[in-house]
Amino acid sequence: MKLSKTISALFLSLVLLVGSLGQAHAKRLHAAIADWTGGIITCEVAVAILEKEYGYKIKQTVFPSGTGLWEAIAAGELDFACESWPSYAEADSVMLNEDLIYEGKVVGSYSGDGSVDLLGTAGIIGMSDYWIPKYAADELGIKTWKDLNKHKAKFATIETGSKGRLIGCPVAGWNCHDQKRLDLLGIDFQADELGTEAAAIAEAKAAYMRKEPFLLYLWSPHWFFGEYEMVGVQLPDHKVCDPDTFTEANNWKDCGTKGWPATGWAKDYTMNYGNPATFAKAEHADAKKFFENMSLQNIDQAKMLVEVDIKKRPVKEVVKEWLDNNPDKWKPWLK
Amino acid sequence: MSSSTEIIKKSSQSKNIITYLIVGLVFLVALWLSTQNEGPSKFPKYVTDQFTFTAWVNEGEDFLKKNYRWMTKIVAGYIKACYYFVEDFLLDSPWLLIATIIFLPCLIAGGLRLGLYSLFVVYFWGATGMWEPSLQTVALMGLSVLLCVFFGFILGVLCSQSDRFENFMKPVLDTMQVMPAFVYLFPALFFFGIGGAPAILATMIYGMPPIIRLTNSGIRQVPAQTIESATAFGSNKLQLLFKIKIPLSLPSIMMGINQVIMMALALVVLACFIGAEGIGGQVWQAIRRLDVGWAMEGGLCILFMAIMFDRFSMSFSKTEERIPDDVQKFYFLPQSWAKYSLARIIEQPIKISHDVIKYVCLFVTGLIAYFFQFLISIFNKRTANDIKEFISKRYYIIPSFIVFFLISLIDTYLVSFGSFPEEWKLSIRQPITNAVESLTVNPGFIAFTKSLRAFVYLNLLRPLDVFLTHIPWWYTMAVFVALGYITVGVRFAIITAILLLFIGACGIWSQSMITLSSVLVSVALCFVVGVPLGIIASYSERFRNIQNVVLDAMQTLPYFCYLIPVLMFFGGGIVSAVLATVIYSIPPIVRLTCLGLTQVSGTYSEVSRSFGGTLIQTLRKIKFPLAVPSLVIGFNQTVIMAFAMQIVTPLIGGKGLGLEVFNGLARSDTGRGLAAGIGIVLLAIIIDRITLAWTRKQREALGL
Repeated sequence: MKLSKTISALFLSLVLLVGSLGQAHAKRLHAAIADWTGGIITCEVAVAILEKEYGYKIKQTVFPSGTGLWEAIAAGELDFACESWPSYAEADSVMLNEDLIYEGKVVGSYSGDGSVDLLGTAGIIGMSDYWIPKYAADELGIKTWKDLNKHKAKFATIETGSKGRLIGCPVAGWNCHDQKRLDLLGIDFQADELGTEAAAIAEAKAAYMRKEPFLLYLWSPHWFFGEYEMVGVQLPDHKVCDPDTFTEANNWKDCGTKGWPATGWAKDYTMNYGNPATFAKAEHADAKKFFENMSLQNIDQAKMLVEVDIKKRPVKEVVKEWLDNNPDKWKPWLK
Repeated sequence: MSSSTEIIKKSSQSKNIITYLIVGLVFLVALWLSTQNEGPSKFPKYVTDQFTFTAWVNEGEDFLKKNYRWMTKIVAGYIKACYYFVEDFLLDSPWLLIATIIFLPCLIAGGLRLGLYSLFVVYFWGATGMWEPSLQTVALMGLSVLLCVFFGFILGVLCSQSDRFENFMKPVLDTMQVMPAFVYLFPALFFFGIGGAPAILATMIYGMPPIIRLTNSGIRQVPAQTIESATAFGSNKLQLLFKIKIPLSLPSIMMGINQVIMMALALVVLACFIGAEGIGGQVWQAIRRLDVGWAMEGGLCILFMAIMFDRFSMSFSKTEERIPDDVQKFYFLPQSWAKYSLARIIEQPIKISHDVIKYVCLFVTGLIAYFFQFLISIFNKRTANDIKEFISKRYYIIPSFIVFFLISLIDTYLVSFGSFPEEWKLSIRQPITNAVESLTVNPGFIAFTKSLRAFVYLNLLRPLDVFLTHIPWWYTMAVFVALGYITVGVRFAIITAILLLFIGACGIWSQSMITLSSVLVSVALCFVVGVPLGIIASYSERFRNIQNVVLDAMQTLPYFCYLIPVLMFFGGGIVSAVLATVIYSIPPIVRLTCLGLTQVSGTYSEVSRSFGGTLIQTLRKIKFPLAVPSLVIGFNQTVIMAFAMQIVTPLIGGKGLGLEVFNGLARSDTGRGLAAGIGIVLLAIIIDRITLAWTRKQREALGL
């Protein structure tokens, strides 16, 4: 009986699988892979150091950022995620209960239910805006967002019809409220959500090559600014609104056009966050300490971004190279 | 006689004209109504306000989380532990051991060809740097297949023993098989959180129907004489089941396992959306970064793996062909080449080495068998003989284990093999990316893709989008209900109305119309491309053979691999989403067109030709009408696949319900994601039922 023989073979190989296992278990953590390259790099820096210096075994899962990620961390399905931008996170005020400290000074404070642990600053300071290429700004004479409507026909595509097109925030979970912002500011543009950072950038790059005018949502640090000359449209300054009345049900309106999202974004002191139960454990005390000290600078991330996104090298390789060449920058985080 | 046929003909003609008139009228009214509406048609606000399905689901989820989460957590924790266990073993073992663990079973079960192929597959995983994700996928798949076969087999046996249980299971299995794969991911996410454990559980449920069905039918098909003679020898019911029925139905069960493996692989890859590890995650990351080469490598890893597992599990249900004694047995080259002397010369050394290995294996196994016989015969003679027989029968497996053991020993004490050697790495990522980039900067190519994009968007998608979203909801619903009534019956018409009302009441009417229009455009394009391919295949056998290989490969690939080529050439956007859907869902229409046309019996076309019909005439007047039922089944399958694809197209810019599902996931709004997911399934079910019923009518009319 060939059949029973082979079945028993399958069975026996399983027994072998089980039997030959004797390795000691490493300390495990489960991290999320962000959906923009900068976030991926920041997290990879943390992961690589934890694995190298503290003997961790870290599983990384692709997960769309947004409230879903915060809840997954609160539920303990993931242990930590990196580089959250406070302007985009909607869950931070509900779930964090700690002060955000950047270089010894408090830059934000939260009083939520504490279901997510603020591990510390990531170091990166982000800025977001809408941008147009310099050639278009010069040619059309666009200085601020107020000039956009005059030239909206130049920004239109077949998909947007008579409106201009904003290559908008690519991922829904980032909660950019692009369309709402455009509407509240009275910019007659349509926000186009392309699904991924890469798709949005590819679209912008192609338009830049053709020297067409385009309006792009983008954040810094980003390699795009190093390659192409872009000019911000100077959205109105960010203003904090009263969170009790400033809700979606009120159509975000009580702040007038000055309030968010009818403004630009605030300066983002980004942070790492994790599951409180996990990081309360004694075995993860090292990791918790590490996250408190970690502070990756914009310039370092920008350098790695160029390697990853322009030279198309694997993230792991680039991060490893950076760690090998710059021990003076990250060794202090280990104390 | 002739006058009566004429009357029938006339009446059917006039009936046809009336049908066309009605269809035309319905369309014109829809057109007029859609132009009356300024914005997209909206469901009455008081209904959507009252029917807060999303809120209910979210409340329900909170309730479950609070009260029953501990239970699901235990289950998930247990499975997670098993998964980590297997994964740790696979990842920490020396690569050579893993390679032999994959290679030897393939060699033993599938012969030299499969063995060499499996070596190539393993090499490919390592060479492209996908070693870890590939093994993670294998671990996830292996565990889910194991669970699936275990529970599926038990349920299958129960079905075969009790008619009542079978009658209960049948509709359940039917529904399970109509559902697109991703439907299983949501409940898993809901109850078990994210990661490998829910992926395994979802895959287990998704993969169970074929094994249940095939175990059941295998046991039921055991010949009555065999059963009777066994009963005559006095076997009781249990003996009958375990000694006669199950062993005899093993080939059928193995068939079921094969299908389970393929389905499990497809879903495990897709499960990266709920946080499962493995190649799926790699492809997703690559798509996010628009890295075509990387995505392609991932896709190829999956494809090769799928073919390997398919052939491996197939080789169990295949019976060995008998070869006449005077013909040399071929191990590597096709047996039909035995007539060429060169082939025989090439085969000679292989044959010799096969014989040597077999002899060595027999010898080693024999030695071990004698050893054990001797050892045990001290206590009990009979058991000793049984054990000797047991061991000496397994003359391939025992040496394989010795090989595994030796490799582990060498690794621990002599040389450490470690992970897959770096210097063997051979990345095809860069060449692919470069090739694609050189093509995408070609002005002619840019012009082509741009004009195709513009054509599909301006002439097909946008008009249909606007048309479908602007028709008042009650009109669309009425049309669907009427279709349901005409083709299936009153009951289905009522069900259709309820299902559509549900979609409307959830407040996702316009999104579902956008999805519908994407699906319809994709299906139309599938027809435009697929039917001619099917026609060519039905005339040329060579073309058909080549096409079948390609279609087979296409159908083993998990569906978001189809995003890659589209992304490569067309970039992101709604048109790309449609094109990806077309590529994914085209195989059934090509296959069934070809099948339908070749099935038309030769006499019909002969008769037509003898009456002087040209090729085109024969095709149009004789073959096509007769092939309609087959075409409609093709249409039906294509539509279902197109709907299934909607869940992944948002990755490259698709809109509609699929995007809602994604947004629901990203914002942790389970209700929203679930409503949209259900919406896709409901639309698919309605169209599925209507087309199936229509096929049945056509068949009856043609007397098939």
